[in-house]
Amino acid sequence: MNNTDQLQLIDDTIKKTKERLQPLGYNFIFWGILIISMSFVHLLFPSFVQQTRYSAVLYWVIFPLGGIIYTLYYNIKIKEQIGYETHLSRVIKIIWGVFNLSWIIIVVVSFFEGFHPVPQIIFLLAITTLISGLIIKFTPVIVGGLSLFALYIGMYVIGDINYFIVNILALTFGLLLPGFALYYNKRDE
Amino acid sequence: MNKPLAKILLNPIRLTIVSALLSVENCDFNYLKKITGTTQGNLSIQLKKLKEEGYIDVKKTFENNYPKTRCAITPKGKKSFEIFYNNLISYQPDQSKN
Repeated sequence: MNNTDQLQLIDDTIKKTKERLQPLGYNFIFWGILIISMSFVHLLFPSFVQQTRYSAVLYWVIFPLGGIIYTLYYNIKIKEQIGYETHLSRVIKIIWGVFNLSWIIIVVVSFFEGFHPVPQIIFLLAITTLISGLIIKFTPVIVGGLSLFALYIGMYVIGDINYFIVNILALTFGLLLPGFALYYNKRDE
Repeated sequence: MNKPLAKILLNPIRLTIVSALLSVENCDFNYLKKITGTTQGNLSIQLKKLKEEGYIDVKKTFENNYPKTRCAITPKGKKSFEIFYNNLISYQPDQSKN
């Protein structure tokens, strides 16, 4: 094997171990669909969800916690299937892990302090999505993060706005649409 | 005068392993088997040699009663690869002279 062959081998091997964005897209789509569906159910059947103060809290805690467990399981399986973890996917994993922890803290504090957690969660989601988009250099995710910031500002500008409608808009533009763009991107091919 | 290349990386399978590990946080045995295109036995021998030289870390676990091997490059492995790569580049003949 001469020097040129060795350089070629190094180049080919590095190209093979590329970042795969499809699993991140799946996570975005999953969370988009879950939270949008939950917001619709809460919006259309408030008396059902808000039977007691605790029932609404449980509704917004149990389903997302189930989602966290499911996506953890999915991401572990995908990592096994791909066979490697890139530096980038580790960074993304840490960022969204911190998001999950922050989400739990916001939900718990909002329950005890009696404020609505949606604005804080949208702001947190905006930061996390924008950082993710900038790290993976993927425009639809960057636009998703920016649209979440716009929605957060819009909430204060408009004032009296239904938080479930905000949730539906935020998750559609911030996660669902960027998720589809990630899932069907050409970089994985 | 050209510097000598690290002997351990002259083997194409070991060079493929180190190149693959360089761009990832860690990867499993099956993936390395796939990209090297070698046998399980040969891959185990090459991984052992790289581990002995301190180029890679090998972690063995059990999942569903099956052994699982994950490998990651060490700082020494990264540094040695960098020197090896720079030497390879410096060995390249000057194309303008052709």
